Amino acid sequence: MSVGSSQSVILSNTESIPGRQIVEFYGVVTGNTVRAKHVGRDIMAGLKNIVGGELKGYTELLQDSRKEATDRMIEQAHSMGANAVVNVRFATSSISQGAAELFAYGTAVRIA
Amino acid sequence: MKFIPRKPREGINVSDVHPLAEAGALVAGLSIIFTVVAVALFYAVELALLSISVETEVQLFENWAPDDLLSVSADDERKTQAQEILRRLVAHWGDAPYQFRLEIVESDVPNAMAYPGGLIVVTTELLDGVASENELAFVLGHELGHFRNRDHLRMLGRVAVIGLVFVAATGTDGGAALGVRIADIAQRSFSRGQESAADEFGLQVVNAEYGHVDHSWNFFDRLNDGDLRSSKFIAYLSTHPSAADRSDRLKVLAHDQGWPLSGPTIQLNWINISSPADP
Amino acid sequence: MIEILLNFGLPILIMLIAFFVGSRIEKRHFEDIQNREEALHGFPAVSFEKLPADWKVGSVDLVSGSVVISLDYFKRIIAGLRGLIGGRIKTYEPLLERARREALLRMTESAKSQGFDAVVNVRLETSRLANSARNGKGTAGIEILAFGTALSLS
Repeated sequence: MSVGSSQSVILSNTESIPGRQIVEFYGVVTGNTVRAKHVGRDIMAGLKNIVGGELKGYTELLQDSRKEATDRMIEQAHSMGANAVVNVRFATSSISQGAAELFAYGTAVRIA
Repeated sequence: MKFIPRKPREGINVSDVHPLAEAGALVAGLSIIFTVVAVALFYAVELALLSISVETEVQLFENWAPDDLLSVSADDERKTQAQEILRRLVAHWGDAPYQFRLEIVESDVPNAMAYPGGLIVVTTELLDGVASENELAFVLGHELGHFRNRDHLRMLGRVAVIGLVFVAATGTDGGAALGVRIADIAQRSFSRGQESAADEFGLQVVNAEYGHVDHSWNFFDRLNDGDLRSSKFIAYLSTHPSAADRSDRLKVLAHDQGWPLSGPTIQLNWINISSPADP
Repeated sequence: MIEILLNFGLPILIMLIAFFVGSRIEKRHFEDIQNREEALHGFPAVSFEKLPADWKVGSVDLVSGSVVISLDYFKRIIAGLRGLIGGRIKTYEPLLERARREALLRMTESAKSQGFDAVVNVRLETSRLANSARNGKGTAGIEILAFGTALSLS
């Protein structure tokens, strides 16, 4: 799955973009989303929980949510005039029962 | 720097243990720990209960009755007579520390039970089954014997621990219900040694009251001969020593003690009202 | 009696079904992982960002792969019992192993399908999905996220 590339901002979790030069850096950009489990998916996952294995509903839910968080981070970077975000990190934390925060952050930069 | 693709050996991060083997080992190990704890608790509770003085016991259980006694039948006439027989028997105990109470409970299983605090419970089926006062007196004397040896306290501990163990093992009300049922059966089954000791005391007070021990074990003889055909009596037999063994043993005991083996039968008034072997 | 049957019979039946189906799913998953790893053999995915001097980097993008996976009921019970005694919870090891490899595979496959030639600075993160059961102490699943920077070499 590609998390970035939807806009003209290059993402990388390395400290610099390989093969490119950072000319300006603007600061930390963040994106987050808090999602609760979908009831329908929860029931299916509950059944799947008996025999084990991948809970596809949850995998997709988290992927979608992470994409949303990343998009928000990209939007922040874009608004700062950046064309890349370097050193991207992801974090997930359970906030309450059945709800999770997905968080993406990195440093907005301009590369040449 | 050069990239050479290589793969690590398979299975390094996964313990080579079959889940069923792991399950077996765990269940066995936990069962052993659980059993050891349960047995230790069993003896600890028994020891603790037996260390309670009779005075304290009477104080604690003065007005106590098990829950199933809430359905005590209002069998006033028979109850009064049985209480009178009990009172006369207790007089031969010397200074008995208990204020004995007698209750009659509706049940289709012939049984008599000793509960903490001096409560004796007799089932209606047993009252229907005894043919004479002598037989009933021996049953009551036998229960007095349990009190003298404090068997009822051991039972209380047994019931409590079995109930607890079942709740702990299953963590469910269903398990608790099963535990209570098993504890109930355990409650009725004192060990053989305890039964013999209670028999001996029972026979002793019967002899002291009536001057002989005749007819005392007739009830058990009838159970054994199958005169009381009702299969319900099998339940009584299953939790007590074999009736044949028992009456043989009682005869030997009476002979050794020099208690007269023959004497008059005292009829019970209610025998005329309801026939004993009525199915 | 019915209550006892429901209390004991049903969980044991579910455990047996869970054991057989769960073991099959796990076996098939490991086979699938091995086949796909075989197909990706030779595609560099590394956890450092320094590149060999002769690599000329073209385009760059972040790639990720993730999976939410759960233990079957039987193994969960075993893990719970093991938790009472302590020691290595062996039944969890294959779960985490296959989830990590699956996440890495998804990341790498995504990079390959987008035309990249390598992934560098690969990171793995594990998080627990809380379940509403047992006041949120239950685990609905475990998510493994693998991400890294994909490069195309020119």
